[in-house]
Order: sequence, then structure tokens, then C-alpha cells
Amino acid sequence: MLRIRLFEEAAGKLFEGNKMPGFLHLYVGQEAVASGVCVAMRDDDQVSSTHRGHGHLVAKGGDLSKMMAELMGKADGYCNGKGGSMHICDLDLNMLGANGIVGGGTPIAVGAGFANKYKGNDTVSVAFFGDGSTNIGAFHEAINMAAALKLPVLFICENNEYGEYTPRHKVMAINDVVDRAAGYGIPGVIVDGMDAIAVHEAALEGLARARAGDGPTFIECKTYRYYNHHGVQTLGMKYRTDEEVEEWKKKDCIEAFEKRVTEAGIISAEELAAVRAEVEAEVAAAVEFGENSPMPDPSTLLTDVYTEMV
Amino acid sequence: MTATEAAVRELTYTGAFNEAMFQLMREDEDIFVAGEDVGKQGGVFGSFSGLHAEFGDMRAVDTPIAEQAIVGLGIGAAVAGLRPVVDLMFMDFIMVAMDQIANQAAKLKYMFGGKAELPLTITTNGGAGLSAAAQHSQSLEAMLCHVPGLKVVMPSSPYDLKGLLVSCVRENNPTILVKNKLMFGVSGPVPEELYEIPLGVGNVVREGDDVTIVAYSRMVSESMKAADKLAEEGINCEIVDPRTVQPLDTDIIVTSAKKTNRVVVVHEAVRFGGLGAEIAAQVQEEAFDYLDAPVARVAAPFSPIPFSPGLEGHYVPNAKRIADGIRETLGRPAPGA
Amino acid sequence: MIATVGVIANPLAGKDIRRLVAEASPTSDMAKVGIVRRAVIGAIEGGAKRVILADDRRGLAMRAIDGLDLDAEMVVLDEPIIDSGHNSERAARRCRDEGAGAVIVLGGDGTHRDVVKGWANAPLVALSTGTNNVFPRQIEATVAGYAAGLVASEQVSLDHAANQAKLIEVDVEGVDKTDMALVDVALVTNSFTASRAVWDASTLKELIAAIAEPATVGLSAIAAAVAPTRRYEGGGVHVSFSGDSPGGTTVRSPIAPGLYVDVDIAKYKRLRLNETVSVSGPGALSFDGERDVALRAGQGAEVKVTSDGPYVIDVEQALLVAATQSSAVTAANPVNTAEKTVEIG
Repeated sequence: MLRIRLFEEAAGKLFEGNKMPGFLHLYVGQEAVASGVCVAMRDDDQVSSTHRGHGHLVAKGGDLSKMMAELMGKADGYCNGKGGSMHICDLDLNMLGANGIVGGGTPIAVGAGFANKYKGNDTVSVAFFGDGSTNIGAFHEAINMAAALKLPVLFICENNEYGEYTPRHKVMAINDVVDRAAGYGIPGVIVDGMDAIAVHEAALEGLARARAGDGPTFIECKTYRYYNHHGVQTLGMKYRTDEEVEEWKKKDCIEAFEKRVTEAGIISAEELAAVRAEVEAEVAAAVEFGENSPMPDPSTLLTDVYTEMV
Repeated sequence: MTATEAAVRELTYTGAFNEAMFQLMREDEDIFVAGEDVGKQGGVFGSFSGLHAEFGDMRAVDTPIAEQAIVGLGIGAAVAGLRPVVDLMFMDFIMVAMDQIANQAAKLKYMFGGKAELPLTITTNGGAGLSAAAQHSQSLEAMLCHVPGLKVVMPSSPYDLKGLLVSCVRENNPTILVKNKLMFGVSGPVPEELYEIPLGVGNVVREGDDVTIVAYSRMVSESMKAADKLAEEGINCEIVDPRTVQPLDTDIIVTSAKKTNRVVVVHEAVRFGGLGAEIAAQVQEEAFDYLDAPVARVAAPFSPIPFSPGLEGHYVPNAKRIADGIRETLGRPAPGA
Repeated sequence: MIATVGVIANPLAGKDIRRLVAEASPTSDMAKVGIVRRAVIGAIEGGAKRVILADDRRGLAMRAIDGLDLDAEMVVLDEPIIDSGHNSERAARRCRDEGAGAVIVLGGDGTHRDVVKGWANAPLVALSTGTNNVFPRQIEATVAGYAAGLVASEQVSLDHAANQAKLIEVDVEGVDKTDMALVDVALVTNSFTASRAVWDASTLKELIAAIAEPATVGLSAIAAAVAPTRRYEGGGVHVSFSGDSPGGTTVRSPIAPGLYVDVDIAKYKRLRLNETVSVSGPGALSFDGERDVALRAGQGAEVKVTSDGPYVIDVEQALLVAATQSSAVTAANPVNTAEKTVEIG
């Protein structure tokens, strides 16, 4: 969670300083979801992600330096500067990519789940998606197919209450996205998406069901993004109140987790501070790596369209 | 015809496809087919007939009627190491799946800096002539060819269909193979063994000196009929079938254009913005000084495809209209005119 | 005082992890909207002139009354910023302050606990839409609402239609406010409250139950297996679990819907009202089946069963009283219902 938070805040600063081109969809606030789920996963389990996808790659073990370089459009980035924030991926980590199309990644996760069943391994494919994504046809098609074919897929809905700049309740006639699960014939539950351990517990159960051949599970994580849909503004928005932002920040997943583990005596405040310092150093190194990395050579413009030049 | 060629047995267009699928799936366990009705039913046109009986539920997968999810299934499975063949029953339905095709499959490799390989084949059925009306008859290849990252294949014979399908399935880029619905029952020589026809390599199917016809898919056989007719009038047509429309074998077209000095492009798709426009542009870029006439196009008019045979017969290009187009390019009057 | 009925529906009830770790069914919003709608219609038919509805973030209550032509004043409380148990607690206080004569609660044990935390002696019509429902009962909302209307409009008195429930009071060391449960309190070994539900019986250390009825599902069913205690019977049960140490008795109980487990009990003891049980951390305290308070190592908590709970309106009783009253039997001369039923029959 902390790696995601500090990475993203550093990215936000670079964005503000015009050192980061394009769109930046920050995940800050939602870290408990990516972390709670990915820690429950095995390395061979796949992830499909969203336009708000940095958190999923960090949680899957992504290299912060290659991520930062990619966000800056540099040659040493994960995608050699061809993908950027919205397409960041690491197939070696079985992270099948962020996705610029809302709902676009879910059918792909279902395909990966099919491959797992086909190969007869007990690998699980995890689809991360937002509340907005569940209004899109591709999402319904994909989850129905996963349910009908009983594929090992875990559907993780990150309900952060807003589809871009529109409150969810304006575009959905149900309170809880999870109500849809019953319509596909799969179990669905709600967990507190600001509590990493709650997410983790539910994810473990969902993954175990999938591994056992019991098919997909739907977990709705109630969470919140602190920043704007795009960019680094947090307050003074037309579509939500500052009071609401502050209210959600009281549930901050990192603060809550640190409080609980220190109170439970699992880790001391000093040890936590050391972890934070370590992550800060890693993020600083990532920023430096990104800044020092060259822009991609124009000769690479036409490579990678196909496996060969055509 | 040589003795070896005479020994080649004949298969229908559908039979060639079906045989190739069986052989490919026996050869490579990572290959599966998925789509609407491709299980026990064997596909609505019989293309996948018998596969379910031999390969079972997991390798001949009946999917929901959900084109986005069908293509997504193929993409995800391909990224995860399989070699999927997913079927969209009619080419028109490609429009339903366009996000997965154009925004996902076509671009993953590039967006990921080359790290993804996508050995995905999408098969579908295009073309008019069955009174299938406006949503089950279209030829939409120009749209697909406009998207970098896709390869688009339009076979004109059973032989080509088998060889091109094998290449598509073995290819590590997303390919779309478009069969023509009026050709399912057309027979032709097809070798029994597996063989590949490389993608992006065209074929001169008839040699001639007076005019080059560029045609693909079913328009190749219509052009052959036109050429036979024109031969009686002393016009020798050369017919070039690019076979793959993306990537396009520009060289074979330009070489022929330089030889005949006249080019007529024929396709079933509507004329405006069709591949004829692209081919005409390429020919004038590469062989402008060789041309004795503007590059002509014989194609469908700019309207949806009508239902009634009385209308559809006037819509789809045929041998007569192709012959008329060629005579016009050559400045020859129609016989009896 | 205008006859007022409160309606509190927990939007999150019936959707927690027990749909994964046990065989609980989901309760959809549409189901809840229908229940609230029928309860409101019933309450007004029963005599309510004003209905207070606690709204949630996305308008469960608003949708429940949408399009209804109702002969009563409808008060919809402001929607809170975040859906949580605190909202039910706050709504209960509002109902008390607004003079509600009866409150219809839709939810499970957890929701009812939240309501009672806000208004300890609330006159409740407890409707089940949650998961481990020991406290609320399954009864049709149309007549449940009617019963609330009867009580709120004083056509039927609380004395005739309600019973006072027990309460489990919990004082956690270092915490000022007394916490409470309606059914059971358990100490479990997990240090985290996390997804709240308790489904792993091996984590159980101590259980204090106010209600231990064999025909219910939940942790209290374990206590019921050794010392059945009815909901309106004085006292409770304290069960200590064996954990890793051998010995004791094994009982098999449904601790969640569809989930029967073997539990090793070291000892149990029946509790008198107000008898204190001390437990201490590390671990987490669950209240009515939901982990809610983490205890540090050595941090203690004192638990006791009292008789100071809410008034629970017995829907069948309330309607029966009303029916017999309309047959010219006066409220001042309460009927012997069993006899009366026979006479009518």
C-alpha cells in the first residue's frame, strides 16, 4: 500500500511539474484493494487492470523505476514509452496490462481464466474493474461467459463511487454493484475496501473457490479515490464535496493498517518508519531513473506493430 | 495439368477449412475453437463440423452470443499462451466486437512495447448474395485494414482457404480470416497435407496483357468469368488476387500494372472508402507513368445491402458489371452497342 | 404526539463475506426496497400518521416510497456520506428524538445491534434481511408494518404487544463508552476485525450468549447445544473453548447459514443476569457474530448479560390484540388469546 501511495504521489508531483505527458489517473485512496488482493495471489495468477492501474502493477511486484520511466514516456520504461500510464504492464509478472477502455480488460481476464482451465492448472485470473465498468456491455458479456463456463476468475470491483466525474448513483439504479452477481449465478460479497485485511480475507476465499474449480466470485470493495479522475486535484471539485473527501480520508487504509499492526504488537512504530524510509528511497531512485532515461529513439516508432516489420 | 496435380483430390471451400482445423488441432494442443454454435452444431455453416466429437467441450467451445467476450476470450487465452481460433458468425458482427478487435487485440503488442504475442485467429463469414439483408451480408474489410496491428485475409478458393488458414493459426499476430458465404459449396483441388500460403503474398491467377484486374475473395471467380467473356472479344485480362488485404502485396499489383498499363479493382464492399481507393492510390504513387487510363473501381453502391433478390442482384458486382468496367477502362464499346 | 413510525434499513445487510465462507443468500437492494415499501404501507394502514425513513447514500428509502400515494407525512433523514453501521445508530437516535412510537428495522443481528446502540430501549419491529438472524424474525413486512402502526398510534400498547429483550454489555479496558450486543459476544484469536464475520471455529476462545436457542444459526447455536437459554429467559451462557489443548466436549453447530462445524468446548457455565465475565486479549471481540473491537495483549473486557434491552414488538401478538379489540374486547381487559382463538374458531 505504501509503495503504491508514495509512487503515485511522486508521479503526481512530476505531472504537476509538467514532467509527465498525457493522462494520469491516480489510485491513491484505493491501495487496500490492490494490496489486499495481490498479496493473496500466487505469482502465476494473472491480473487484468484498468485505466487506474498503477496500483495493480505495484502490488503485483512491479519495478518502480521501469514504471516511472514509462509514465514519463522514456525508453527504459516497461513499454519502451509506447504505452504510458494507461497501458502499463509486466507480462513476466502476469500483469496483463492497464487498459484505457473502461470494461476492456475484463473479457481479456476471462480469456486468461479460460487458458488456465484449458491447461488444467489451478492458476486464477483476477479482473480488477471499477463501478463504472459494470455498466458496459463487454463487462456483462465477459462475466456471464466466465460464469457459464465456470472459469477460474476472481472479479474485483473497486467501487470508488464515481465514474470519472459523475456520481455512481446517477448512472446506476442499485446501491451495490454486487447485486449483479446473483444475476450471473455467482456468489458476490461486499467488503470494506479501505481495510486491506478485510479485502485480503475475502480474496483468499475467492481465489480458493476458483482453484477448487468452483468458478468465479464477485467481490465489491467499497473504496474511494482521493484525487480527481485525472490529475492531482483533490478538493474544490464540482461533482463531489470536500467534506466527503475528508470523511473518506478518516478511513485511510494505510493509517488504519499501521494503527492496527502497531497496536497488535506485530510491528513497532520504529520498524514502520524504517519501511517508509526504504520505500521513499526506492521511489526517489525511480524518479531519478525516469528522469535520466532517454526519450525513445524515433527509429522505434514502427517496431512492435507486428512481430515483424511489414 | 500434370500428373501430380491430377492426383490432388477436390474439397469444398467449407471442407478445406474444416480439414485444416482438424489437422491443426491434432498437431497442436494449444489450438481451440470458440464461438456461437461451434460445439456439437459445428457452426451454422458447418465449418467446425465434427470438431466437438473429437476434441470435446474445452477445444470446441460453445460461447454465449457475446461477440466482445468471444474476442476477449481469444485475446486473454492467447496472452496466456494458447493459440485460439474464435469465430464470429457473420462479418457484420465484427462491429459488435470492435473494441476488443481494434482497441485491444490490434494494439496490445505495441502498447506493451512489444512484450505481448497474440497468436489469435478470428474467423468470420462475409459477402452478399443470400438475401441475408443489411446486417448479415457486409464486406467490412476496409475498416479492419485501417487498424494497424491486424492482418486480414480474404481467400478466393478452397486451396487458398486451407493454406491461408494454416498460416493465420500459426501466425503470432492477430489475424482475421474472412470466408465468403456464397463459396461454401465451391469445390477445388486441395492437397491433403497441411501447407501454408504466406500472408502478404499475392497470386496472379490469370495472365494477360491488356488490363489488370485486382480482385479478392469471391470477386476472383466473378472476374475469371468476366475475363473469359472478354477473351472472346480479344481482351486479355490479367487477374491479381492479393489474398491478404492487410498486409497488401503492393509489389505484385504494381508489377502487373506496369505490364498491362491499366488497372480495374473489383470488390464486394462499397466503393467509397473501400480497398479500391487504397489500391488505386498505391498504383498511381508507384506506377503513375505507366498508366494509360485512370484506375477504375467496380464495387457496390453506397447503400446498405438490400434484402430482395430483385434489388440485391443490382447491388453486388458480377461478371457482367466487371466486364463493363473493363471495357470502359479500355475505351471499348460493349458488344452489340 | 403524532403517531410516528421509524424505518431503518441497513443497505449493507445481507451482503457480507458469509455468502462466500458459508452458504448465506444475498439480499438484493430490490428485495429491500420491496420490504421497506410494504412495511411503510402496513404502518400507515395500522395508524401511523408520520413515517421517518433513514436514507442511505443512494436512496434505498426514497426508492421504497417512490410513486406511493400515502396518507401520512414522510420524513426522509439526510443521507450520510459513507454507508456504515454508525448510520443506523444515528438514525435510531433521530427516531427517538422525533418521538417515534415504533421503529421497523430491516437487517440482521448486526443492524439491530447498531440501532440499539443508538436507542437502547427502542420499541422495535425486528425484520430479518441479514445473515445470522437470531434476533430479528422472518415475518411479512406488510403485517409487521401494521403492528408498528398499531403500537405507534397507541391502539395497542407496548405492554400488550412487546417483550423487553436482554442486552450484553461490554466494558473494554481503556474505552469510555460501554459497547453492547443483543445475542452473543465472542473473543476470537484473530487480531483484526477485517471482514468482520466469524466463520473459523478454531479461532474461538470465549463466548457469552444472551440468547442460546437451538433453532437459530450463529455462534449462539454453540451455547444452545450445551445450555439452551430462551430469549426472554433471565440470564445467559458462558462457553470457553479448548483451542489447541485436548479434552472437553465436541459439539456440532450451525455457526453460519449452511455451515455446520465441530467445536471443542472446554467448559460452560450458565450466567445470572448482571454476572460479570472477564476476558482479555490478544484477539478481537465479535458482537453478534461480527468482529468489531481488537484487543491488545493483556487488554481486558468485562461482559455481562442484563435485562435492559429494547422492547421487541411481537407482530402476531399485536395484530391479535387489535383483532380481539375490534371484537369489542377492551384493552383494559386483555384477552387470553389462546382461549379467545378457540372461541372464535
